[in-house]
Amino acid sequence: MQIEKLKKYAKLLMFDMNENEYKILQSEFDVILKQMDLIGQIKDLDKVKPMTFPFELNSDYLREDEYENTITTEQFLTNVTEKSQNQVKVPKVVDND
Amino acid sequence: MINNLDKSKDLFKSSVEKAKKYQNTYNAFVTILDESNEIETNHVLNKVPYALKDNFSTSNILTTGSSNILKNYVPVYDATVYRKLKEAGALLVGKTVLDELAMGGTSLTGHTGPVLNPYDTSRQIGGSSGGSAAAVALNIVPFSIGSDTGDSVRKPASYAGVIGFKPTYGRISRYGLFAFASSLDHVAVFAKSTKDIAIVTDTIKGRDNLDMTTLPDEGYNYSDLLEEQIENKKLCYIKEIINKDMINSEDIELGKTTKLFFETLEKLEKIGFTIEEKSMDKELLKAIYPTYLTISCAEATSNNANLTGIQFGVRGIGESIEEIMIDARTKGFSELIKRRFIIGSYILQKENQEKLFLNAGRVRRLIVENTKELFKDYAGLILPASGGIAPLIKDSSDQVTDRLSDRSLILENHLAIGNFGGFPSITLPMGLVDNLPVGINITSEVLTDCELLKIANVVEKEINFKYLKED
Repeated sequence: MQIEKLKKYAKLLMFDMNENEYKILQSEFDVILKQMDLIGQIKDLDKVKPMTFPFELNSDYLREDEYENTITTEQFLTNVTEKSQNQVKVPKVVDND
Repeated sequence: MINNLDKSKDLFKSSVEKAKKYQNTYNAFVTILDESNEIETNHVLNKVPYALKDNFSTSNILTTGSSNILKNYVPVYDATVYRKLKEAGALLVGKTVLDELAMGGTSLTGHTGPVLNPYDTSRQIGGSSGGSAAAVALNIVPFSIGSDTGDSVRKPASYAGVIGFKPTYGRISRYGLFAFASSLDHVAVFAKSTKDIAIVTDTIKGRDNLDMTTLPDEGYNYSDLLEEQIENKKLCYIKEIINKDMINSEDIELGKTTKLFFETLEKLEKIGFTIEEKSMDKELLKAIYPTYLTISCAEATSNNANLTGIQFGVRGIGESIEEIMIDARTKGFSELIKRRFIIGSYILQKENQEKLFLNAGRVRRLIVENTKELFKDYAGLILPASGGIAPLIKDSSDQVTDRLSDRSLILENHLAIGNFGGFPSITLPMGLVDNLPVGINITSEVLTDCELLKIANVVEKEINFKYLKED
């Protein structure tokens, strides 16, 4: 696994690591890819449907379609570091040009 | 045990005192509360103190997920589990340390430092629910709540010498539990008796409109039925995971654990259980860990995309929204979970989806189907919860793994089968190896939670484990 590729993935995930951390991850990938190979060694996998949930869940109920305001604006803003006029404040996202 | 607690005493106060007394040594808690909102109820848990893993949302109480990115986060809503315990009158003593965002198996990676093993402080306690396991093992609280995605309650239960139970997927609402890998996440319980496990599970189980994956109510309490006759007393173990030849292993600790396991099986046979050896494709078993890694990292990458520091959490610095988010996530996540996210991102790349992500889902199905075949004849699968005692901290690594041996791939990871299939699964202390606890695990078919607890109740009494005494 090339370090440049790892940096690309980190960028997609919106964080960075230092060079040493990338090196550790690179060596870890050698083991991870060997482990992943164990998945590929199982025979006739193409005949199996991927499982995305522990078991078939037949949900036989639906919630009533009722309006509910779960939290207030004031509550929402309690965890916001920068706010202004009852809204979350962020740097300008639209360019003037 | 919960039924025998003297409620004329201030149980909350004595729990808080113990929590504080042990905090410097074992670091079980992120937050210890000084006050409780006592209410009068007729519930058996009224005025009973307990601890909650710090990845359950508790309004007005700091909830960090043991991560720097959430070190200032105070939720404005309650997890369903917390709400139900509050309504029962149970008293929250504190929020416990976990591996950062529950992604780990050592409880060494939380942002407030490692949890140490109550039996030996040079050893880890397992994870990710290590703080909750320690709180029960140290007699701070009679029960605690954790979450279990691969074995995050059932493995620390083994290393801490307590009971850890996760019911069928969907039996307990996940509303308000920080999602790690949604298709594998379970709410789970620690205690020191099956009866207490049943009482707590009865209190928090049930359908929840806020979690559409919850199962319909059963209409009965497990704790009322524990002493009823067990329907099927046939259990099996899988020889590719554990077998008698391993008693003579060069790995001395594994040998001792295996010996204790087979001695325990003999005891259970003497009281009427039939225990048989079965076989499963070893290649499939070796694929358990990579399958777990693939599914959990991929789901975690997606689930944690909401941690940007903008609406909540620690905000980053920058000239643009992107810079702010990148700064918050770079500083807020530890190296360990960044690596897990990158693995997840790699798996989800278009060119890898078929080969890795979808194939892991296929292997998951095969493992679950093979296990379900066993459940046609057997009431449960009985196996050691770990291949040995809690590892020394100096030997512990939470790198995604440096291990390719059978013991690490199979014996140390088979509990994830319970998460793949959503099976109810319980770890009970089996005894001591070199003066440290090891657990035995029983896993059964979905929706057989009550039968499993009935079996566990008998097994617990037969083993008669001597729990750590208070100092």
